[in-house]
Order: sequence, then structure tokens, then C-alpha cells
Amino acid sequence: MKKRVLALLLAMTMLLSLAACKKDGAKKVDTKEHVKITYMFTGSKPEGAAMDRFQEMNKKLNEILTEKCNAELEFYWIGWTDYLSVYNMNIAAQDGTVDLIGTASDWLDAWPNAKNGGFKILTEDMLKTYAPETWKSVPKDHWELCKYDGDIYLMPEDNYAQWTNHGYIYRLDWAKKAGLANGVHSWEDMTKYFEYVTANKDALGINVAWDSDGTHNVQMASGWVASHSKFVPIDGICTAALWGGTKDNLYTIITPAYSDTQMMVDFAKMMKQWDEMGVWKTDVLNNTTSTNRDDYRVGLVAAEQHHTQTWTDLCSKTPSNTIYNDPNAESGFFYFGEETDNVVALSITHGAMAVSAASKNPERALMVYDLLRNDPDCYRLINYGIQGISYELDSNGYRITPASYNPDTDNVGGATSWWWGRNDNLELKDATRNWTAIESLYKVYDKIKIDYPYGQFVPNVDSIEGKVKNCNEVFGNYMKQIAYGKYSGTAEDIVAEMQAALKQAGIEDVTAELQRQFDQLYKK
Amino acid sequence: MSKGSVVAAEAPAGRKLGFFEKVRKYRTLIFMCLPTCLFFFFFSYVPLPGIWVAFVKYNYQKGIFGSRFVGLQNFEFMVESGKLWSLTRNTILYNLAFIILGNLFAVFMAILLNEIRSKAFKKVSQTMMFLPYFISHVLIGVLVFNFLNYDTGFVNTLLTKWGFERWQPYANASCWPAILIFIYLWQQSGYNSVVYFAAIMGIDGEVIEASRVDGANAFQKIRYIILPSLRPTIVILLLFALGGIVRGNFGLFYNIIGTNSLLYETTDIIETFVYRASVTDFNFSTASAVGFYQSLIGFAIVMTVNFIVKKIEPDYSLF
Repeated sequence: MKKRVLALLLAMTMLLSLAACKKDGAKKVDTKEHVKITYMFTGSKPEGAAMDRFQEMNKKLNEILTEKCNAELEFYWIGWTDYLSVYNMNIAAQDGTVDLIGTASDWLDAWPNAKNGGFKILTEDMLKTYAPETWKSVPKDHWELCKYDGDIYLMPEDNYAQWTNHGYIYRLDWAKKAGLANGVHSWEDMTKYFEYVTANKDALGINVAWDSDGTHNVQMASGWVASHSKFVPIDGICTAALWGGTKDNLYTIITPAYSDTQMMVDFAKMMKQWDEMGVWKTDVLNNTTSTNRDDYRVGLVAAEQHHTQTWTDLCSKTPSNTIYNDPNAESGFFYFGEETDNVVALSITHGAMAVSAASKNPERALMVYDLLRNDPDCYRLINYGIQGISYELDSNGYRITPASYNPDTDNVGGATSWWWGRNDNLELKDATRNWTAIESLYKVYDKIKIDYPYGQFVPNVDSIEGKVKNCNEVFGNYMKQIAYGKYSGTAEDIVAEMQAALKQAGIEDVTAELQRQFDQLYKK
Repeated sequence: MSKGSVVAAEAPAGRKLGFFEKVRKYRTLIFMCLPTCLFFFFFSYVPLPGIWVAFVKYNYQKGIFGSRFVGLQNFEFMVESGKLWSLTRNTILYNLAFIILGNLFAVFMAILLNEIRSKAFKKVSQTMMFLPYFISHVLIGVLVFNFLNYDTGFVNTLLTKWGFERWQPYANASCWPAILIFIYLWQQSGYNSVVYFAAIMGIDGEVIEASRVDGANAFQKIRYIILPSLRPTIVILLLFALGGIVRGNFGLFYNIIGTNSLLYETTDIIETFVYRASVTDFNFSTASAVGFYQSLIGFAIVMTVNFIVKKIEPDYSLF
């Protein structure tokens, strides 16, 4: 209690003497007591020798943190198995064992957890006092996007260029042989490509064109919709991106996957064609043990469905991507929405840091975050590891791996999952990445993209929760059959059946309720 | 144990013991059942007020009793899905099959084991029967997939080798009840048979001896001595099992069927549906609502069945 009063007093003094304290403000904060800050995040915990390497980094990092704010950082991994439930359960526990929580408004439940009382409200005073660098570097309108009900809950990763729009990664050299001289630029091209690779499976040395594990259904459906309309989905309602506006009319909610019958029938037909061609394995829906991405790296499959960020890895000549031992090999990327120039930039809260409501040292947690995000030494340690062991710099300032580097043990950056405070000012570019290809695609994106328009919309689903759940469930189930071409009967029948089921599940009520909330927010 | 029964037998007829006298007299017995009582008190009765979470919009900060009361709203999504009936039906039918066939099979195996004379063979077969019980459902899911998948599965490889057409179970909902029940029996029967085997061992040797003197053959011995002696055990185990009849075997279903929506018609049970619906939005309240619904139905079923058993054979009823 005493400490808190003190901190509050300090914060007030800070405010009163803003200009004077600007530089050495952080030093005046009471840091007499040495504390341990626990950072919880999703990622795989390193084991054996990799854990030793990780601990070497952690020790070094803690030395700096102790010196600068008398705190040390402890890592708390949430493994990937059922990560969302385990993650939410850990937040719900509220036992004070966790301080910093890596979160996201689209793929982790940042807003539901903020609403449920899992996160601490970050007042402007707190941010100015304890995370001054972060407070300065994030523009005012970005802080607006981190608010729920007028209060800031998140610190956004808003200064890091990345694209996580989905699409197909494919072998450009094989596409050329298939008669697509410029590569794949539409779903029809993709069909042509798959026709070629499935017909020449043995000659190309692949097991199957795309060893999908049967979970890409919703992603494929969204991709099809993006490529055939100007639809802009709203994040954070449910996995099935059913609701959204259009580029021309952002604030009128539509549900093309439900209402645009012809578009969905065409989708069902094309996917049936893919299924019959043998693009994926016959029992794709139970194919849970697939390792498609690793198979792609070594040339055992011909395509991978994921986002741009993954492509930047797969198109580069890294030690694990052995396909590039063949100098002709090239990887292209067909992004969903390419036909209609429909690309939406990532929301700035795709990665963000929150402070647990039960944290015993929220002030120190903010100080630690501020350092990890803005201090070059801390930043390099948590992102890349120790220089000379985990990474080295070449003469151009690009990041390379030292000769002794062992990817199984020395990839410390892979163990820390620092996806909630990356900072382009401090990033060290990876020399192995195929920057010519990557930057030319980014240029295209920058020309056509629109910013995510609904950052401030945090839907209140209390009254329609059951209906949203049921729509999501129904859509997912039908898309399993439609997107993998596994339905019996005609494409028209299955789409009609899905529409009836979605109507039954209450999709129209949800649309109406969301529209009401939209109007409240945007028609002021 | 022996002391307790001696004490009970010594109690003078006609005089009623006071509460404290009773406690003192039976202290050994009471002491012995104390751990069980404590277990149920702490893990079954203390958490009971928590059922309230099913009726509120749960907020971590406000706690179970401070959160906003929302009535039956948490139950709505189950009803609105229109699947409540088919899910409950699937769950109950599967469990009925598991309970009835499982017990029949276990009794059958216990009797067979009892008839084996070679000690070495008995031990080996018991171990083999036991083994599947210790394989996790995750592994079983993988095993089943490798047996049954269309492209490279064991069954289909054999079928094509023998010149038959391939079989595609993963696109055919109707064959799954049989497959799932088979897997359940394969996995559980060995373990379940232990109880029955123990009950057979406990049958008074003199009775069996007497039947042999009277000239009963092996089948007559089973029919007239062993099966009747097993009846109380069978009835009690059935009653216990019925209480969980609305609780599905999540591990088995989720690992084998996964999220293959082609098969849901015959394989979707309450647990798997709720898992899919809730895995994306961690919601204690709806999960508790479903748990509460299952408990209510389970409670009703146990009471009804116990009532019926009591009418027919009062000695076998639970209470």
C-alpha cells in the first residue's frame, strides 16, 4: 500500500514537472526492492541444450534489467497444444504469478480478457511514468485503438512491418512449367498449377500436392471471398470471418459467405474439382499428423497455405529450406484478394502487451517492457540471443548466423516469442531472407492496401453470444465439406443447406445486432 | 476390521446406543472411512455453490457471486443450436452400448479367465487384455487412422491386395457407431473384467465343490452358480455407470473423429460439441451450464433406475 501511495505521489510530481523530468524520469521511480517480473506468452519451451542457451541469454538480460530497473525477467511458456484455452485459463487464475501478458486482438482473446477483468487498466500517467519511451513512440491515434470503454489495456506492436494476409505458397519454377509464365495470380491459375503438379507427381518427386491437415477450411473460404468481392471482415467476433463491410461501404455489415449464393456455389465446384484431382489426401479431414510446411522445405509437397510472413521464410535460401539446393527452385506467393486488390493491413493489436490485473508489480512490469521494446541491448538479447552465439552481423549490418550456429539449440529468438513489442528501429534484418522478392511484394501491398478500419470496434456479444457460437460452428462444419470438396450431391444443394443452417443458427439476428452497434459507434 | 464386527455383534439387544457412545464404539470403522468422507466433502460438496457460475456473466475480478446474474442465458446456445436433442441422444445411446456391452463382455471374459487351467497362459492372456487400457486416446486416434485411412491405411491396403474395392470410413457416418463401440470394448473390457474376476474368486469354494459332487458340468456350473453370484456386482456397477450416462467419453470421440464434420451426424456428443463451440472463447459460464444440465439428467436417471431396482429386488438397490 505504502509503495503504491508513493508511486502515485511520484506520478503526480512527474505530471506537474513534466518538462524538467523528461529524461531522467524513470530513474526517480522507487526501485529499491528487487522484483521478479513474469512474462507469459505462447511458444514452445526450449529443452536440453537449447534451454541452456536460453538461460545464458536470460542471465545476461537480467543483469541489464537489474542494473536499469532492479528487476529480473522470468519466462512463462504456454505451449501450442490447445494454447487458447490454456492461455485464457492462466489469465483467469488471477493468482498474481504473472505480470506481463503477450496478447493479440485477433488471434488471442485480448478484448474478451480485458472485458472479463483479466488485464489491468493502463492509465496515461502510468504509461508516461513507467514506459516513457513506449508512450512517446506510439502515436495518439494508435493509443485510441488500444482502448476499451475509454481505458487503455494494451501496448501495441505498431512499429513493425509484417503482413499476415493469407494465400498459397507455391513453386514458381513448377508453375512456369505448367504454362503460367508469370506465376499464379488467381484461383483459376492455382487450379492450373495443381493440375500440373498432381499429374506429374512422380516426376516432381512429391508425395501429394498439398498435405493439408484439414483445418484450412475457414481460411480458404475467407480467401475465396476476398478474391471475389471487396469484403473487409471484422476481427475478433469468431474464427469464421462472416461479418464485415465492403471497401466502398465500410460501415454497412454484410455476410457474403452466407448471402452471395453464386459465389459460394462456384467455390464449392472448384474445390470439388481440386478434391477429385487429388490435391490433398483422400482422408484430409482426419489427416492430423501432417507436416506440410517441413515437407515443403525439402520438396515433398508443392504448396503451403499460410500467410505472407511464412512465405518470406519459405522463399529464402535458409539452411532448412533445402529445395534451393536446386538453383532453379523459386517460391511464389498467391495472396488472397489479388484479383480484386483486396488487401487489408494488419491491425496494430495483432501483437500487443498487457499487464495482468493481479500483477503485484505493474509499475516495474511496464518499466521492463519499455526496456525490452526500446533498449537496443535488451532488444537484441530477447529477439536474437547473444551475439557471437545465436547471431552475428555481416559487413552490411545484416544478421547472419555464426559458423558454430546450431539451429536446434541456438535459436534463442525462437524461444522467447517476442511478438508483442518488436520495433523496426531496432530490428536487424536477416541476411538469409530473399529481400528482393520480399520487398517487391511489400511494395505491391503498400500500393493497394487499406488500413484495418474497425480497430476501435469491440463488439459487445453478450446478447448474441449463443448465436455467434452456433453460426461459427455451422459455418466451420459446412466449410470442412465445401472447402475440401467432400460434400455429396450438387454444389447448389450443399450451399443451400448451409444457408438454411446459418439462418437457423441466427446469422441474421447477429448481423442486425452488429449493425446496431456499428451505427452507435460510427454514425455519431 | 474384525474388532469392529465383534463390537457390533456384542451390542446388547434392546438397548439403544447414544450418538457419542456409538462414535466411541465404532471409532475404528469411522476412522477408516474418514478419508473417503473428507474426499467427497471437499471435492463434491464444497464446490457445489459454484454451480451458480452457470447463471452469471462471469467476471474474473468480481468473482462467482459478484458477477452479474443473467438467468438461463448461458443455457441458450445449446437450445438455440437445435442440436440439444440429437447430441443428448447420441451421448446416451453410445453410453448405453458401452455400459451394456461393456459389462456383458467383461463378465464373459472373467468367466473365461476363470476356466483357464494353465497358470502361465492365464497370466499372459490377462496381461494382453489389460494392455490396451493403458494406451492413451491420442495414440488410439493415430492407430485407428493408420488402420482405416483411404490412401495408405492397413485395411485398405489389404482390401486392394485381395482385389476388393477400397472402403472409405472417414466419409461414411453410418459405420462409426460400430467402430467406436468395438474400440471401446477392445480398450476397456480387459480392465473391467478384473472386478468380475475378483467376484468370481470370492465365491465360496464349497458351493462350487458341492456342484461338482452333484455332477454339474462346466456350463451348468456357470449358469447356476457363477452368474447368480455375480448378479449383485453387475447391478451395482450398472447403477453407478448409469449416473454418468449423459457424460460422453470426450477423449475417445475427439481423438478418433476430430473435427471431421462429415461424421458428426452419428458421432457428435455433448462434450465434443461444447468443446468446439467454446474452445475459441474461454467461457466458464456456458461450460458450467452444460455440466449442470448433464448432472441434472444423470441424477434423474440414477434416481429412476434405483427406484425400479428397489421395486424388483430391494437388496440390490443403492439406497
